[in-house]
Amino acid sequence: MTVRDPTPVPEHPSLEEVYEATPFSEAFWTYVNYIILNIFGWFRDFLRRTRIENRKGSAEYNPSGFVPLYQSYESFYTRNVYQRIADCFNRPIGGVPGGKLDLMERVTEDYNWSFNFTGNKITTINLGSYNYLGFANNNGPIADNVIESIKENGLATASSTQEFGNLKQHRKLESLVAQFLGTEDAIAFGMGFATNALNISSLCGKGCLILSDELNHTSLVLGARLSGAVIKVYKHNDMKHLERLLRDSIVSGQPRTHRPWQKILIIVEGVYSMEGSLCKLPELIELKKKYRAYLYLDEAHSIGAMGSRGRGVVDYWKCDVNDVDVLMGTFTKSFAAAGGYIAGKKELIDHIRINSHACAYAISMSPPVVEQIISVLNLLIDDDETREGRKRINQLAWNTRYFRQRLSKMGFIVYGHPHSPVVPALLYSPSKIAAFNREMLKRGVSVVTVGFPATPLVLGRVRFCLSASHTKEMLDDVLKYAEEVGDLLNMRQSKLNPKKPFHETELIAH
Amino acid sequence: MNVGIAQGERNPNSSWLNSRGVWLTYIILLFVLHFILLSIPYITTPVAWTLTTTIHNICSFYLFHLVKGAPWETSDQGRARRFTFWEQIDNGVQWTGTRKFLQILPIILFFIASFYTKYDRTHFVINLATMLLAVVPKFPIFFGVRLFDINRY
Repeated sequence: MTVRDPTPVPEHPSLEEVYEATPFSEAFWTYVNYIILNIFGWFRDFLRRTRIENRKGSAEYNPSGFVPLYQSYESFYTRNVYQRIADCFNRPIGGVPGGKLDLMERVTEDYNWSFNFTGNKITTINLGSYNYLGFANNNGPIADNVIESIKENGLATASSTQEFGNLKQHRKLESLVAQFLGTEDAIAFGMGFATNALNISSLCGKGCLILSDELNHTSLVLGARLSGAVIKVYKHNDMKHLERLLRDSIVSGQPRTHRPWQKILIIVEGVYSMEGSLCKLPELIELKKKYRAYLYLDEAHSIGAMGSRGRGVVDYWKCDVNDVDVLMGTFTKSFAAAGGYIAGKKELIDHIRINSHACAYAISMSPPVVEQIISVLNLLIDDDETREGRKRINQLAWNTRYFRQRLSKMGFIVYGHPHSPVVPALLYSPSKIAAFNREMLKRGVSVVTVGFPATPLVLGRVRFCLSASHTKEMLDDVLKYAEEVGDLLNMRQSKLNPKKPFHETELIAH
Repeated sequence: MNVGIAQGERNPNSSWLNSRGVWLTYIILLFVLHFILLSIPYITTPVAWTLTTTIHNICSFYLFHLVKGAPWETSDQGRARRFTFWEQIDNGVQWTGTRKFLQILPIILFFIASFYTKYDRTHFVINLATMLLAVVPKFPIFFGVRLFDINRY
C-alpha cells in the first residue's frame, strides 16, 4: 500500500486516511521470520512423521484402503506457527469485559499444547472488546430492567418470528430503532451474522449484481454467495474502480445473455474493523444515484460509535438517511447485547418480514436482550447533552481523537480514519505479534493482535478498540506502556510522523 | 484459526508473492546463500555458483511443483488442494508479473553460473539440467499436467 492522496469530500470538515507504505526492512525481516518458521516446521513435521517426536495434536487414523479425509499439510500453519503463540489467543475471561477486564491466569507445561489455570485473576485494562459506548456491565439500571423483563417475558421465545416469536417488546424495539436512525421502519433479528447471511438473498437473487468491497466481513460474503447473484469485488474504498466496474457491468449486462441486470446492490461497511477505515459515503451515494444502483450499508462497528449524535456513519458524513436504501447494523458492539437489525423504507421492511429466511426459520431475539437494547436506545435517543447517552458518545469521540493523535505522534504506523474507534497499529511479523501481546499483558493491558491469514501476509497488527469506559488516565497508561514495548520491538518506524517520546506529544484540539 | 477473517480472499497462497518486497527479498536471500557457500574454504567460485543454482533450482522445483495445497485451511472449500503452489499463484492467471519474475530468475542464474564457471562442460551440463527442471514446469502448457500420474492426488 502506498500513501494515498487525501480524498476530496465536499463540504465535510473531516480528515483523510493515510496508509503509510511498509518499510522494506520490516517486510524483509518478516519474510525471514516466516522462512525460519517454515524450515523448523518442515523439520518438526519430519520428526513427527517418523515418530521420533510425539504427536501432540490429534491426527487422522488413516487406515489402509481408505482415502484420507484431511491433508496434513493443511494444518501445517496451525501446528507450527499458531500453536507456538497460542497463549495469546482465546484467553478465558473471569468477568464482564468493561474498561477493565479480569483474565484467568494460565500456564503451560508443554509449549501451548495444553493449559492449566493457576486460579489467579489478572486485572488488565481492556483494549480488546467492542465495548464502544461502555455499556458492558452487569449491574446498574439497565441490568435491573433486563432482570425485570426475564420475570415478565421469560428467557426465550422458543419460536420463529413468523409463528409465535413476535412479542410486543420486539415491535417496540423495532420502532425505537427506526426512530433512532430516522428511517420509516426497522426489523430486528437474533444474530448479527445471520442478519447479513440470510437477508441478502431476500433482496437479490439470480439476475442481480452485487458489488462488494474487498474487505467486507465474512457474513456479507456468505450472504452474497447464498443469494445466487453475480458478485464483483472492488478494491477497498476505491471509488474509481467501483465506477469502472459499474459502467462495465451495466454496458455488458448479465453474463452470456447480456440482458440488463434486475438490480445492482453495492455492499459496503461503515467502519472496517481490520483497517479502521470509513466508507466514503457521499461519493457512494453520488455513484448510486448516477447509475441507479442500491446501497446496502453494514454499520456493525459504526452504529452508536460514530457521528455527533451516535447515529452511525450517515450521521458522521451528514448524509440523508433516505439516500441509503438498506441500513443494517448489529447490537453486539455499542449496545452490549446481541443481534442485528435492518432499517429502511416501510415497503422494504414489510418485504423482509415476509420473505426473510431468518424470520421464517430462526428463533427471534430473546426478551432480556431486547430489553437491554431498548434501555440503551432510550438513553441514546435522548439528545440532552448532560444526559448519559450523549456523555458517552462525546467521551468515545474524545478518547478516539486523543488516543489516535498521541499514538501516531509517537511514531507508530497507524492505519485507518482519524475518527474511527478501531485503531490498528502495524507490527508486521508474527513474532512481534506474540511479543507485543505478551509484553502488554505483563504490564496489565490486554490487546488483540492479529496476523496472517486474517490480515495480509506482511501486515500483522495490533488492534486497539477504544471505549467510552476508558478514562484519560487509563489511556495515558496504555500509551506509556505502548511506548516502552514499541521501543523494545522497534515498532516506531513511521516516516510521516517521526517518533517522539510520550511527554512531547501534546493534544491539539480537533 | 479462520475465525476473524474479515476478508473474502479464498486462498491467501495466491497473492502473497505480490506483497511488498518479496522479489527483492528473494534475490537478497539467494545472494546470502551464495555468500555462505563462498565462505566454505574448499569450494572454489565456479563450484559455489553451480551449487547455488543447483540448490536453488531443486528447492524451487520441490516447493513450487511437488508440494500441493496450502498450509492453511482455505475458505475455497478445497479447490486448491490438488494444485501445486505454482498453479495457485494469482488463482491460475498466466503471465502475471510474479510468474514472469519467477520464470526469468533461473535463466539469469544459469547465465551468471555459465560465466563464472568459464563455460566448463561438466558445470554446463549440471546447470542446464537443473535450469530446465526449474523452468519447464512453469510453462502454461504444463498447467495441471501430471506426468505419469505422479503426484496426482
